[in-house]
Amino acid sequence: MEFFRDPKINFVGAMKVAFTLSAILVIVSAATMLIHKGPRLSIDFTGGSVLQVKMDPAPTVGEIRTALEGQGYQGVQVTEFGSADEFLITFPTPDEVLAAAEEGDEKAGNTGVSTVSGEKTLDAAQILLSDLRVGLSGTEIELRREESVGPKIGGELRTAAINSVVAALFLIVLYITVRFVFRYGVAAIMALVHDVTLTLGIFSLLEFEISLQIIAAFLTIIGYSLNDTIVVFDRIRENMKLRRKESYREVINRSINECLSRTMLTSLTTFFVAATLYFLGGPVIHDFAFALCFGVIVGTYSSMFIASPILVWWSERRLSDKKRTATDM
Amino acid sequence: MNRSLQIRAGLTAVILLFSLYGLLPTFKALSISSADREAAKENPERMAEISDIDAAAIKRGLDLKGGMYLVLEVDQEGMNTSEAEDALLRVKEILYNRVDKFGVSEPEITTFGSSRIVVKLPGLQDPERAKALLGQTARLEFRMVRPDTEIQPVLEKLDRLYLGAAVPEQDVEDSAPVEDSAAAANDDVASAEGDSAAVAGADTAANPFGELDDMMGSDESLAGADEAYLKDHPFSGLLVVQPGILGSTPLFVQEDNVDRVQAMIEDPRTARKLRNVEFQLEMEPMDFGQGQMLRPLYLIDIKPILTGDQLTDALSSANNERPGLWQVNFSLNNRGARTFAKVTGENVGRFLAISLDGRISSAPVIQGKIPSGSGSISGNFTNAEASDLALLLRAGALPTDVYIAEERTVGPSLGSDSIRMGINAAIYGSLMVIIFILVYYRMSGVVTVIALVSNIIILMAVLAQFDLVLTLPGIAGIILTVGMAVDANVLINERIREELRKDKTIRASVQSGYANATRTIIDANVTTLIAGGILLWFGTGPIKGFAVTLSIGILTSMFTALVMTRVIMEFMTRKQGRKKMSI
Repeated sequence: MEFFRDPKINFVGAMKVAFTLSAILVIVSAATMLIHKGPRLSIDFTGGSVLQVKMDPAPTVGEIRTALEGQGYQGVQVTEFGSADEFLITFPTPDEVLAAAEEGDEKAGNTGVSTVSGEKTLDAAQILLSDLRVGLSGTEIELRREESVGPKIGGELRTAAINSVVAALFLIVLYITVRFVFRYGVAAIMALVHDVTLTLGIFSLLEFEISLQIIAAFLTIIGYSLNDTIVVFDRIRENMKLRRKESYREVINRSINECLSRTMLTSLTTFFVAATLYFLGGPVIHDFAFALCFGVIVGTYSSMFIASPILVWWSERRLSDKKRTATDM
Repeated sequence: MNRSLQIRAGLTAVILLFSLYGLLPTFKALSISSADREAAKENPERMAEISDIDAAAIKRGLDLKGGMYLVLEVDQEGMNTSEAEDALLRVKEILYNRVDKFGVSEPEITTFGSSRIVVKLPGLQDPERAKALLGQTARLEFRMVRPDTEIQPVLEKLDRLYLGAAVPEQDVEDSAPVEDSAAAANDDVASAEGDSAAVAGADTAANPFGELDDMMGSDESLAGADEAYLKDHPFSGLLVVQPGILGSTPLFVQEDNVDRVQAMIEDPRTARKLRNVEFQLEMEPMDFGQGQMLRPLYLIDIKPILTGDQLTDALSSANNERPGLWQVNFSLNNRGARTFAKVTGENVGRFLAISLDGRISSAPVIQGKIPSGSGSISGNFTNAEASDLALLLRAGALPTDVYIAEERTVGPSLGSDSIRMGINAAIYGSLMVIIFILVYYRMSGVVTVIALVSNIIILMAVLAQFDLVLTLPGIAGIILTVGMAVDANVLINERIREELRKDKTIRASVQSGYANATRTIIDANVTTLIAGGILLWFGTGPIKGFAVTLSIGILTSMFTALVMTRVIMEFMTRKQGRKKMSI
C-alpha cells in the first residue's frame, strides 16, 4: 500500500496562503488569550487545592455547588470529571494567605492551604470535604485524589515551567544551528512558536487549564513537531548537494514532497495513539492527550507549510540562488 | 551470513532475552492476585517471597499505586547556613524515624534544595494521620509552674503592654477595619457568621489560617467578657480566675477566647516583656458543667528542667484513673533521671508542667523525690492518639517547625482505575498502529511490528532493571513512544522503497536505505531527547515518569530500528538475485 507515489504538491507555492492562514490563527489565539486573560492556570501554578471525589448517589454539579454555598463557600469551582458520579472541586489559595505571603510572611507563603500547626491540622481541603459531607448528608463521598499547592511552590513551578519551555527552544536552535545553519534553526523555532501559540489558544478557547502535565505535553509537541521539521530539513540538505541545477524553491518543494509519505504515516500513527489515550486513558490524562492530538495536527501542518517555506521566503529576500550552495553545506 | 551480521544478530538476541528475563518478576507480580496477597500475610515465607518479587518488578508511581507525596518546608528563620543545613538533615532523619515506625512500606524521604524535604508514602491508608505525624514538632519539655503569688504582677505588665498598643498584629480599638477584613475573608472560602465577624477578622490577621477555623464552624464571640473591663485590661480581661480548683493554676480561658489568648502569649512583645517566664495553655479544655468549657492557663519557667531528647523510651497504656482514656509512659536516660530526681527532691509541693509543642498536657504536683526516671503524660488521649504520641516521642522532636508546602494524595481506587485505563489505552493504541503498519508495509511491516514489540519489552525491562518508577504519564510516554518508534521504521522503509524505485537490487536498496535514514533518524530523535531531558530536569513526580519513559523509549527505538530491524532485513534479503520485496 502507498498513499503518495511521487507526489508533486506545490507546498512552497501555497506559502502565501499558509502564512496568511497561520498569521490569522496566531492572532486569533493571541486574542483569545487576551480575552480570557491568558490561559487558565491550574493550582499547580497559582496555588490552591483540587479534590477529586466520587459520590453515591451522584448529585448534580448544581447540588454540590448549592451545598457548598450553603456552608458559606465562595469561589469554589465544581465540574464533572470523567463520569456522572465523579467531580473535581477546585478552590484557590485563600486571599488572606496570598496577601500575607506577599508581605513576606514565610509561613503563609510556604504552607498555603494546608498546614500542621501545633497539635491541630488545618487543612482547607479536608475541612471543605467534611463540610461537604455535612451539606450533602446521605451521600457517600469518596476522596479519590487531593492536590494542594502553596503559593510559594506554585510561583516556583510557574517559573520552572516557563524556563523549561524557553530552555528547550534555546537548546533546539543551538542544535539545529550546529547540525545545519542558523537560518534553519530560526525557521524551526518559528514553526514551534506557531504550534505552541495555537495550542495555548485552543486551551484558552476551551477554558482548559494549563497544568504541569500540559507543560509536559507542550514539550512533547515541541519535540515532535521538530522531529517532522528536521526530517524535511535533512532532505533539503541532501537534495541541495544532489540537485545543484534546481532553484532553491524547487529543491525545497521537492524535499517536502519526498518526505510526504513518511510525514503522513508518522503523524497518523502518533495521532492514533494520542487519540486512544484521549478516549481510553481516563479523565486524569484527558487534557494531556487532547494537547497531544492537537499538537500532532498542528505540528504536521507547520513542518510542511511553515518551517520549510520560511527558508524559501528568507532566501528569496536576502540571498541570491547562487550563494545558497556556499551557505548551506 | 557474514560475520558482522552474525555478531549483530547475536547481540540483538541477547538483549531481547535479557530483557524478557528482567521482566519475569513483573509478570509474576501481576499474576499474584490480591486474595493471594491477603492470604500470604499469614505465611511469612510466602510474604518474603512476594516482597522479593515486588522488589524486582516495575515500581508503580504514587498516582498508580495510591499514596501521598508531600513537600515539607523546614523553617530556618534566624539560622545561619550551617545551622540551617544541620536542621534540614536532622528533620529528615527524624521524619524517617517517624515514617518508619508508622509502618509504611518503602517510604522515600529526600531533601530537596536547601530547605525542603520530599516525602513519598506509597499505599498509604490514612493521609490525615500521616500529615499530623509528620508535621508535629513533638517538643516535650518539663517546666516548673510559677507560684500563684507571682501571677498578678505579670498580668498587670501584660495589660499595660497591650493597653494603647495594638493587640497582637490586630487593631481591636478600631473595629471598623477589622470588620472589613472579615468581610474580605468572607469573599473567599471563609464562612464567618455576621455576629462573629469582628473576632474572625482579628483572628485572620493574627493567623493566616484564621478563616479556616470558621470553616470548621467554631463560633467565635466575646462571650463572658465584660466589654468595659476588657477595654482597660486587654489581656487579663480575657481570663477567668477560679482559685482552688486545680491547685496548679487559678487562671482559665473560655474556649471561645483561646485563639486570642494564644496569639497574645505567642507575641514576641510578650516574650520581651516577661523574660524568664511565659504563659502556656493546656491542651484540652475542662468541663465545668452546664456546657462551660474552660482551659487552664499556666505561668511557667522559660527554661525547661528536662527536654524530650533525654527520653529513652515511650509507650502508650490505658489510663487507670480515667477509664477509656490513654496515656504515654516514658523513661529517661541516666542523666535525665538524675536531673529529674534532683529537681523533684528540691521542689516537693510545687507543680511540674509537662509541655508538648507549647501546650501543657498536665501539671501534676510533686509529691516527693522521683528517683526512677520514669513518668507518664496524660491528657484526653484516645488509644490511637496516645500511641502516635509515644511514636513521636520515641522518634524525637523536630529541631524546628515544618510546614506542608505541597501535597498530592491519590486514593488506591483511583490508582487501580488509572492503571486499567492506561493499560487499555496502551493495548488498543498499539494494536491500531500494528494493524496499520501491517496493512501498509506487509512483510516489512512484520519486521517493523517485531521492532515495536521488542521496543516495548526492552523499555519495560530498563524500567524494572534500573528501579525507575512507572506513572500514568509514564504509560502515556510509552504509548507515545510506540507512535514515534514507528517513525524510525517508516523513515527506513520509505527510503528502501525509494531506492527500489531507482531499480537498484534489493540488497543494495536495503543497504543504502538504512545508510541514508540513519542520519535523519538520529537528528530527528536528538531534538525529542532534548525536550525529554528538560522534562527530566524540571519535572517532578509523575511528569518525571513521562520524561523517563519517553527518553528511554526514544533510545530503545533507535536500537530496535537501526540494529534489530536491519539484522532481520539483511537476513531476509541475503540471497543474491531476489527480485521482489514485500514492502
